[in-house]
Amino acid sequence: MPEIIVDGISKTLGGLLTLGKINIQANNQEFIGILGPSGCGKSTLFNIISGLLKPDAGRVLIDGKDFTGITGRVSYMHQKDLLLPSCSILDNTSIPLVLKGIPKQRARAMAAEHFEQFGLTGFKNYYPAQLSGGMRQRAALLRTYLFSSDIMLLDEPFASLDAITRRNMHIWLLDVLRELHPTILFITHDVEEALFLCGRVYVLSECPSEVRLEVEVPICRSESSRTITDPRYSQLRDEIMTALTI
Amino acid sequence: MKKSRNIADIGVPIFFIFLLLVLWELIVSWGKIPEWILPGPLQIMKTFGETLPRMLEHARSTMLECLLGFAAAIILAFIIAVVMDELPLVKKALYPLLITSQTVPIVSVAPLFIIWFGYGILPKILVVILVCFFPVVISLLGGLAAVDRDYLELFRSMGASRMAIFRMVKLPLSLPAFFSGLKISASYSVMGAVIGEWLGAKEGIGYYLTLSQRSYMVDRVFAAILAITILSLLIFAVIIAVERLVIPWHRLNEQHQ
Ligand SMILES: Nc1ncnc2c1ncn2[C@@H]1O[C@H](COP(=O)(O)OP(=O)(O)OP(=O)(O)O)[C@@H](O)[C@H]1O
Ligand SMILES: [Mg+2]
Repeated sequence: MPEIIVDGISKTLGGLLTLGKINIQANNQEFIGILGPSGCGKSTLFNIISGLLKPDAGRVLIDGKDFTGITGRVSYMHQKDLLLPSCSILDNTSIPLVLKGIPKQRARAMAAEHFEQFGLTGFKNYYPAQLSGGMRQRAALLRTYLFSSDIMLLDEPFASLDAITRRNMHIWLLDVLRELHPTILFITHDVEEALFLCGRVYVLSECPSEVRLEVEVPICRSESSRTITDPRYSQLRDEIMTALTI
Repeated sequence: MKKSRNIADIGVPIFFIFLLLVLWELIVSWGKIPEWILPGPLQIMKTFGETLPRMLEHARSTMLECLLGFAAAIILAFIIAVVMDELPLVKKALYPLLITSQTVPIVSVAPLFIIWFGYGILPKILVVILVCFFPVVISLLGGLAAVDRDYLELFRSMGASRMAIFRMVKLPLSLPAFFSGLKISASYSVMGAVIGEWLGAKEGIGYYLTLSQRSYMVDRVFAAILAITILSLLIFAVIIAVERLVIPWHRLNEQHQ
């Protein structure tokens, strides 16, 4: 069962203690939100979990095994879509499969199977520059999913989209998650987004950052996404806002 | 709308050149400037037509030197740029040398090649390499260094090897810069061969140019200059055609920015 434990991670960057002592846990198939002020080290934390960066102290445990500083276990989607302008969408999304050694033709066929689900039907041979921002983001998500389908790190995947597209992406994502069941760590600046998508939310403090607040979100993924009237909603929102602004 | 803009893009410079030529012709004929000082465009065109067969013969050897030198420069520049990019120590050592080398005028080095390698084709090729190498190496180095680090990190997080990262990310993303270097070099390459021939040769457009100049046949000098320009533009056009074939996506990106 895919389960991540971030155990007492700390990291100093450029002489500044960025991550104080972070403890985070994501259980199987959970959708975990990570909120925090800009520059508090959220992306750095993902770099450590994905193995790109070694922490100064602490461990990253995945399914009980130590994955500190080891890349290739979890998939990681950056703030930018990072699609290669030189490749078609189909080639872009099949890159992780090709890197795993699957022959190109088969990798393409495997990626193509998901095109409908990810709202990319008919755009296989388009270049990224020919797609809308939302489509590019979905393509990047598909590439992330094809690399590791059980644990995904998403770093503000929708931050660059306009409000309406973002809302549609939320609804689409929840729809997809009815069929796929990855464990997701999701960085965002947007409290509403976190409350709408995530089952549990961690709020980080400013540098040196630590977990300031951890809350369950009982009302996430509500059916009527437009207006959330549950009284617990505004209470949770206030609680998170307060933690963010102290 | 787009089409009419394209026509304007081509039409305006052509009209402007035409205007200059007319002005030139008028000045020459009204000012009664003797032909051996400055012939008019019409006279030059006439001479060009008459001497074309002879010039084509000379152009053959010039083009041979030019293409061999250009190709060698590209291969050399590619290898050196890639090695410099992959090995920071090599880059640190070579980069200042590369820049300084450009302050040495080609015309001052070329005679040395003649002394060392005689009057054959080799010294000309060397001059072409010298002229073409630098723009390609510098543009490719710039392109390689400008690849967004986040791409590299993403591919590393997907467990890509260094070779795979080079092949899938670095190389394709730096090709546009590589081609802009090629375009600069392409327009210099014929000039390089001509400089080489100037200093001592038995054939070639540069040799023909020197001959014409020594016998004060200024119209032939101009005809040779016209030939050199046409050859340079030809190579330039080939590079543009290859660029469109190799990186068709690049134009898309530019349109969207
Ligand atoms: N390689 C580095 N060397 C030195 N300092 C760094 C490095 N990378 C990041 N930092 C610093 O570490 C801090 C955390 O950066 P990080 O990108 O993790 O923040 P973030 O929480 O993701 O911010 P944002 O919400 O704006 O994306 C920042 O102050 C940044 O300037
Ligand atoms: Mg960040």
